[in-house]
Amino acid sequence: MLDKLLKKHETYLFLIIIAYAVVVTSVNRSFMTFENLFDILRSGAGMGILAMGVLVALLSGGIDVSFTAVAISGGYIAVRVIMATGVDNLFAAFAISCSIGIVLGLINGLIISYFKLPTLIATLGTLNVFHGALTTFVGTESVNARQMPSCFVNFGSAKIITLVSEQGSKYGLSVFVIPLVAVIVLTWFILRFTMLGRGIYALGSNRESAKRAGFNITALQLFVYSYIGFLAGVMGVVFVSEVRWVNPVTLIGTELTVIAAVVIGGTKLTGGSGTILGTLLGVAIVTILYNTLVFLGLSAAWNNFFVGIIIIISIGITSYRNRIKNRKSLSFKT
Amino acid sequence: MSDRKLLKIKDTKIWILAFIMIGVIFVLALVLSGKFLTLRNFQSMAYQFPEFGLLALAMTIAMITGGIDLSVIATANLTGIIAAIIMTNYVNAENAGNPAALLFVVLAIIAALVTAAACGLLNGVLISLVGVPPILATLGTMIFYSGIGMAVTKGIGVVGFPESFLEIGAGKLSLFPIPLLIFIGCALVISFILNKTSFGLKLCLVGANPTASLFSGINNKVVIINTYMITGLLAGISSIIMISRFNSAKVGYGDTYLLQAILVAVLGGIDPYGGYGKVSGVVMGIIILQVLQNAFTLFGFTPYAKGLIWGLMLILVMIINFVTSRYQERSKILRMKDQGVIE
Repeated sequence: MLDKLLKKHETYLFLIIIAYAVVVTSVNRSFMTFENLFDILRSGAGMGILAMGVLVALLSGGIDVSFTAVAISGGYIAVRVIMATGVDNLFAAFAISCSIGIVLGLINGLIISYFKLPTLIATLGTLNVFHGALTTFVGTESVNARQMPSCFVNFGSAKIITLVSEQGSKYGLSVFVIPLVAVIVLTWFILRFTMLGRGIYALGSNRESAKRAGFNITALQLFVYSYIGFLAGVMGVVFVSEVRWVNPVTLIGTELTVIAAVVIGGTKLTGGSGTILGTLLGVAIVTILYNTLVFLGLSAAWNNFFVGIIIIISIGITSYRNRIKNRKSLSFKT
Repeated sequence: MSDRKLLKIKDTKIWILAFIMIGVIFVLALVLSGKFLTLRNFQSMAYQFPEFGLLALAMTIAMITGGIDLSVIATANLTGIIAAIIMTNYVNAENAGNPAALLFVVLAIIAALVTAAACGLLNGVLISLVGVPPILATLGTMIFYSGIGMAVTKGIGVVGFPESFLEIGAGKLSLFPIPLLIFIGCALVISFILNKTSFGLKLCLVGANPTASLFSGINNKVVIINTYMITGLLAGISSIIMISRFNSAKVGYGDTYLLQAILVAVLGGIDPYGGYGKVSGVVMGIIILQVLQNAFTLFGFTPYAKGLIWGLMLILVMIINFVTSRYQERSKILRMKDQGVIE
């Protein structure tokens, strides 16, 4: 049982996290507190939601870099619509943002499935198109905390459990974990228990075989990209509530970090292989690194350096093991 | 269908591109005649596009081998920062005149190129020896190199270069700006390598079908490592032009060039799946893009509107490629049916 555990990629990720936690706690005791943990959970929730979408896209053998544009479009338009119409309901916000997300995701899916374009370049194009369309047609006015409708502000500060720290300040587990957990469970359910999920894995492993097995490739791809759009819509509302200041130019530029987190988690870029647990551990590593290097006395300027090293080492190990496995079966594809 | 006819089809892509380029310049000259058709405008374009053009050339070479290099911008940034640090540490306003300063400028340039080649080497090793897919390898190295740059500069720009260095970015030889000459030189060298050397042919073969080239006796690993080292070197040369023009080196310069570099490569006829590409196509793509960029600035578009147009163009170009290749395949099959080769 132990050697089966040692073969899994997730075990190594877990060990990295434990090792890092031990090192940092020995330098600065406040790392190992509930306050810090809740803080990490709060900032990682958004990335976690997006990472589930990226996981599904990678599993299907494609890639999507346009999700941040979809997320900020959904969030920003939701804020503006609610400000304009005065309907101060959180569910309305989610509904608006998620529908925009699904529509934009469908556009992605249509372009990719009908024209068979390479997914990286197609979504790189739609990233700029969505972002450019948002800033050109909807505008670039920012909305700050005072103008933000109360449903977002309340969502951002609501907590499930509230505790009091030694210094007497209150902190708590943010309500953001609810959408995060819901998204995780939904993704897990789709991937594990539905034919759709089976189809996604099949499409990613071998597109031709999946087609001959009877899967409808076009429908699968449309689902995958609209699902990412839907999740991006959810994340848009979470992001807007978390940051409490929204402007169409934020969030863009972070997509490669999310993809890096998913890839650290052991998901293969060629598709067909990847787990939710691995993705979550990858997101955890990236979030923890981004948030807690300050505990070691390193400024935020060092973030990319360490994340870059972890990415290189992690995918280096995964790819090398994959290559050894391929050579054993005399496949020279990679 | 003979091989010569296949080549003709691909060559027509270049002619179409040339036609589009002349068409675009013509239309813009008509619409914006006063501001566009001046020597100053052309010269200012000729100062601006070489740094981007070299990055696009680098991306092209990586794409011909079937990969992609997301780290060219980060490599350029990092090498620029390193050259800048060497220059500002050893050369300041007092001793800028004496010959030792010139030595340090040359040293900085050499250091930049060596770093650039090393960055490319890491990419090549990760892709060929470790077996990481190019997107992921260059994604990781992109974050890593920008991380090094960020950690070293803490986000602050490095400023204050000696006059002799600034000549690179601002000087001209009669009518021609020096950056333009550097770019033309590099483009000619790359074109020569791709068309007339065996290395260039091996590059295309590895891109077209790595398994077949491996079994044909080509050392894929050496080809890929050399490819990414060339990519790195081009990024290094680009960075020298960039920091000379801006008189500073900072993290984040050139980030918007990534999408444009891919767009230019695809526009220039590079097959993203690898195996085919011509430098002439890419150069024409660069000219089209620079001219359009210039025109958009004259029209007053925001950077986001420009990004919208680049994104639309990228998708449109790829759709057109898809449709024409389907059409060519269909006509090829029809012709074979006519000739009775297949029924």
